[in-house]
Amino acid sequence: MKRHKEKIKRIVLALALVLVISWVIFPLYIMVKISVSSPQEVMTQHPSFLIKDFTPDHWQKVLSGQAIRGPLTKSLAVATISMIITLGIGIPAAYGISHLPKRWGYLALIAIFFTRMFPEVGIALPIAIKFLEWNLLDTNIGLALAHVIRVLPIACWILVGTFQTIPRELEEQAQIDGATKKVVLQRIVLPLSMGGISVAAIFSWLFSWDEFTYALYLCLAQPTLPLKIYYYITRGSWFLTATYATIITIPVVIITYSLQRFLKAGYTAGALKG
Amino acid sequence: MRRAANFKDYRFELLLILPLALYVIGFTLGPIIYAILLSFQEQFTNNFSLKNYYQIFSHFQFKNALINTFAITILSLILELCVGLFLAVLLTRRFIGKGLLRALMLLPLGVPTIVSAANMRYIFDSQGYLNEFLSRLHLINLPIDWTGGGGLSIFTLALADAWKVTPLVMLILIAGLETIPLDLFEAARVDGASFWQAFRRITLPLLKPFITIPLIVRGIDAFRLFELPLTLVGSSTPVLSTYTYFEYFQYNNPYTAAASAVILLIMIIISATIYLKISRERKSIYNL
Repeated sequence: MKRHKEKIKRIVLALALVLVISWVIFPLYIMVKISVSSPQEVMTQHPSFLIKDFTPDHWQKVLSGQAIRGPLTKSLAVATISMIITLGIGIPAAYGISHLPKRWGYLALIAIFFTRMFPEVGIALPIAIKFLEWNLLDTNIGLALAHVIRVLPIACWILVGTFQTIPRELEEQAQIDGATKKVVLQRIVLPLSMGGISVAAIFSWLFSWDEFTYALYLCLAQPTLPLKIYYYITRGSWFLTATYATIITIPVVIITYSLQRFLKAGYTAGALKG
Repeated sequence: MRRAANFKDYRFELLLILPLALYVIGFTLGPIIYAILLSFQEQFTNNFSLKNYYQIFSHFQFKNALINTFAITILSLILELCVGLFLAVLLTRRFIGKGLLRALMLLPLGVPTIVSAANMRYIFDSQGYLNEFLSRLHLINLPIDWTGGGGLSIFTLALADAWKVTPLVMLILIAGLETIPLDLFEAARVDGASFWQAFRRITLPLLKPFITIPLIVRGIDAFRLFELPLTLVGSSTPVLSTYTYFEYFQYNNPYTAAASAVILLIMIIISATIYLKISRERKSIYNL
């Protein structure tokens, strides 16, 4: 009798697992599937779940066409610029925060964390109005500056964590030997933190790469890749949407997987939306 | 006697933080203050008044947006917490393929929000895959209009949001579960407690702090939901952030847009204050 019960329990568990796994994978599978399916298979009353009519047409059209070039270069440029700005502001700030008295550092981190909670539509609106005055709409540097709002908290989070792991004795020893705080930072802390800094750099890049809201407010004629997806969605072109969506997702998924362990602190504090 | 920390001792550190402070003032606080000012200015005359607020509060779409925002938040929080808790409890057990499942659950977190919005359209479109699935199971005869507005769209949005966010809730809860000493469960089992009893009397109470954190942080995120409602339901089911967007881009009125953004801001600040109160009780954010 008891054995029987155990068996039922296991079956229920397995079923639940299958359900959850399909729920997670299905939307992504559909995206990839549509990007390689013929229109007859998708645009009907009864779309098929399996790939019956494989076609590379949509991919060929997107990759060989002119349309992708502008958005792709813009996305690449903006992501790179915001990464550089973020590191330029974030590295010194994170070092400073990690060396302040615990209470101050905590307050600073909380403050940065809260900037992440402000409504983006509320911040983007005045920025768009000001950028219109300053002729910064549609420029890479303008959008990158706005993206840094979103990117800085996560970068600071990772960087503060990195600098905290460096043994304080090492720095104190150097200071006893006569090095100034600046020299300690340059010669000891930075070289030892290269790992954490590159992780922060990659995430900064990523958080700009897939950003949507600021781009929607600050781009008029030259869209980024995420904006391009939105345009295709509103125009109802399912295949181009799927293809662009797959293109933009690939680097994101790869990076998320290879670096997920570095995000753990952020996850557990609930500081990250991903 | 220990000397209190002094600004002068930390001149170098504070100097390093300065660019960050300037940036935050210029690109976060500044815009927000500007938005607040805009929300009190009348269109055309720039006089200060409450007209914009009167205007949006008499607008039925704004009332809808307000109600929808709360409804989606509550619904998606319930969904995410229930499923997240279920998965977390599941994943702390041992079974074959656990590592794989854990890795899979991370997938939605990596997917850009706009991409997940596009994917949800494929599923919830009236000619989409959910309707096809249901009709193949002979559960429905006519396609359901998931995104046409009303309560059903709210449910759709909550489901779509839950897809991306449940893994995050799950990870936080797993971190919480791992803090519960296993001896407690051993002792409960020795005393003859069933799984449910142990869950209710041990797991849930000890997990409570780990539930309140995602509850508030996720609540704030749900208030701000933008890409999903914009692409999935558009103006048929406005939420506060899409209402703000439409006011500015479709009706060209930055003043009412700012007013609705300020309402959203107030909601977020209230939630954030509650969060701060709770997390201060737990002191350190470093080892949370």
